[in-house]
Amino acid sequence: MAGGASITIDRASKRFALAGSSEGVLALTDLSLEIAPGEFVAVLGPSGCGKSTLLRLVASLEQPSGGSVSIGGAAPGLVSARHALGVAFQDHALLPWLSIHDNIALPFRIAGRRVDEAAIARLIELVGLGRFETARPRQLSGGMRQRASIARALVLEPEVLLLDEPFGALDAVTRRQMNVELQRIWSARQITTMLITHSVDEALFLADRVVVMSGRPGRIVREVVVPFARPRAPAVMRSEDFHRLVDDLTAALEVPEPESSPPTGGEAIGSVTA
Amino acid sequence: MTAGARNALLGAMGIALFLALWETIGQLKLAGISWPPLSAVLEMLTDEGRRPLFQRALVATLQETAQGYLWGTTAGLALAALAHLVPPLRRGSDRLAAVLNSVPSIALGPIFLVLLSRDSTPAAVSSIHVFFIVFVSMGSGLQRATPAHRDLFAVLGADRLKRFWRLELPAALPALASGLRLAWPAALIGAIIGEWFGASRGIGILIINAMQNFQIVLLWCAVLLAVGASLVFYGLLTLLERAAYARFG
Amino acid sequence: MEAAASKRPLLLRLVEDYWGILLLLLAWQLWVVLNRFNPIVMPTPVAVLGDLVDHPMVYVRNVGITLAVAAFGLIAGMAVGTGLAVAAWFSPVASGLLNPLTVLFSSVPVVALIPVIARLLGYDTSTVLAIVVIITFFPSFVFASSGLRSPPPGSEDLFRVLGASRLSVLWRLALPAAMPNLAIAFKLAAAHAILAAMVAEFLMGTSGLGYLFAKTKSDFQTEQAFGASVVATVISATAFLLAGLVEKRVRARYA
Repeated sequence: MAGGASITIDRASKRFALAGSSEGVLALTDLSLEIAPGEFVAVLGPSGCGKSTLLRLVASLEQPSGGSVSIGGAAPGLVSARHALGVAFQDHALLPWLSIHDNIALPFRIAGRRVDEAAIARLIELVGLGRFETARPRQLSGGMRQRASIARALVLEPEVLLLDEPFGALDAVTRRQMNVELQRIWSARQITTMLITHSVDEALFLADRVVVMSGRPGRIVREVVVPFARPRAPAVMRSEDFHRLVDDLTAALEVPEPESSPPTGGEAIGSVTA
Repeated sequence: MTAGARNALLGAMGIALFLALWETIGQLKLAGISWPPLSAVLEMLTDEGRRPLFQRALVATLQETAQGYLWGTTAGLALAALAHLVPPLRRGSDRLAAVLNSVPSIALGPIFLVLLSRDSTPAAVSSIHVFFIVFVSMGSGLQRATPAHRDLFAVLGADRLKRFWRLELPAALPALASGLRLAWPAALIGAIIGEWFGASRGIGILIINAMQNFQIVLLWCAVLLAVGASLVFYGLLTLLERAAYARFG
Repeated sequence: MEAAASKRPLLLRLVEDYWGILLLLLAWQLWVVLNRFNPIVMPTPVAVLGDLVDHPMVYVRNVGITLAVAAFGLIAGMAVGTGLAVAAWFSPVASGLLNPLTVLFSSVPVVALIPVIARLLGYDTSTVLAIVVIITFFPSFVFASSGLRSPPPGSEDLFRVLGASRLSVLWRLALPAAMPNLAIAFKLAAAHAILAAMVAEFLMGTSGLGYLFAKTKSDFQTEQAFGASVVATVISATAFLLAGLVEKRVRARYA
């Protein structure tokens, strides 16, 4: 039951104004990427390579300086205005004054739609938060908060799902568990998904296709179609093929950066966009 | 145009708009004769003949305020440090400070009148206001050293006093500087109220006399003097606060 | 913390919590007795307490008036302050125009404005009310403004991606996020409101605790004047305490 809209990024570039610099910082240049309906693409790259900027363009949080971005042929802003985007950030961004249930119901209220209690109940069950509906985010562990944040991203049955390092703040063990969980949740819905991550394991385990970005300015240096059949068991991560792909992608990540990179680099961009 | 420049321009426009509104209401007598135009107030304020009157009042009030500020700051710092170094005293000193802060200033006047003298009363009332703000800001500032830093000092074998002197006190300085900034207008209010209880001169006296004799423009002059005395030092203390945050924040 | 507090013996608790206040009262009593002050000049705390017990209705009536004016002014001041903060939140122009003005005004000694406002509004309760409104307006505006602008991390991006309208962001994000700050403003303003009302009543009121103080003082009923002050101290300390509890609850709910 593959679903959702395609994402088309056509020769997109993004330049940020920077105090004390006339031309600013070029975060992305001439980047093209096509994600098919129902496809799960992971964008992999070192910190500060502009991968989050890429997601923010698709989420209509930023406008491209050149080129174009569209979702199912429409501008991201229009898709967002009809409440058809799902998003989860590294910061869970749950509202501390709402219960888990009300946090997950929030997108209905923002969209001005009737709250579909059955859909919420199904999602809460799916992400394994059955007994915590009335709890406040503060009472939950980091992993549970991210489950709630992913449930919130899915509740409106969005056309695309955007995940920006959703497990970046978790410890390694919890992160591995969450990857298995997300794989299961995604298999139940199979929405077009763009995952931003810097973990090679995570990208390979979850995605249909992995693209590797290099930084300053960000562009795609490598693309790998992941050959493992779905549903994937955690055992996949111990297979020979998996290790070979991990080595391959890790090597691609370590491509030396061009000498001409400006002194104010990725971290500055990160703070501009944060 | 940068955001900063735009905000500065908008802010200047806001102030100009306010002053223009003041002048217009006064010129057109929209609020009756009790609201003189700004220009009339400024004219009297800059009048050569009245300069000695304003100068005497301003100097007297500033002296009282400075004195109260100093006393209050000393007392606030002392009690905050004491409560911090001797934890059993903490709850009691918190409550004492809260109650002192709840005593109406107008009741402090007659007490200090008997306890001290007419001319010390403004500074004393002012010092009570300052005391509370400094006590509270210093008290919360002293709690700002992080547990990791406390652990570090413990591992390094620093005793209670060394930890206070080298860790907790520097960490408290930004909060203290914020307190010192907020304490100035409060000190000025204390001095003005204190003057009502029989001081010989000061802005508070000027205000009361002008009010009772229906000298409306003079009343506004006195108010403007008070505002100026508050703003100038408030501005200077804001700079001090920024420096404290830059250095210790 | 609470459980530990209730385990301490009552006497120890009394001494630990109230040593400063007890010391202050004791010093007052001794000071008056040892100097043999005439009660017209300075009564003892015991004499003040006596007057409180002898004439309770005088106090109750005036406390009622002062509390009513303070409460009404507090609510009005916070409503105006929050309302303007919301306007500034909606419009960068309004915010740019208002911000420096409020910084200027927040350092103005409001007490100095009382006579001016009295000239404009009249020497009665409306002036007292106006002073309370002004004095509670500034903290609410300043705290509400910063609260509206500090939502939880990432939540603004979330609302934008979800296609939230500006009104929806205000109602579902900015206002709830501002609640803890508004609670702080409430705590600061609550005690101030009563004291400011008293100063205004003292100068030009026709009723209330401040007026009672001014009248009894000039009639040489010094005990009653101090009684009014003691009552004012107790209610404003209580207001501060209660507002602190409200703040704690709001913080637990919204932060």
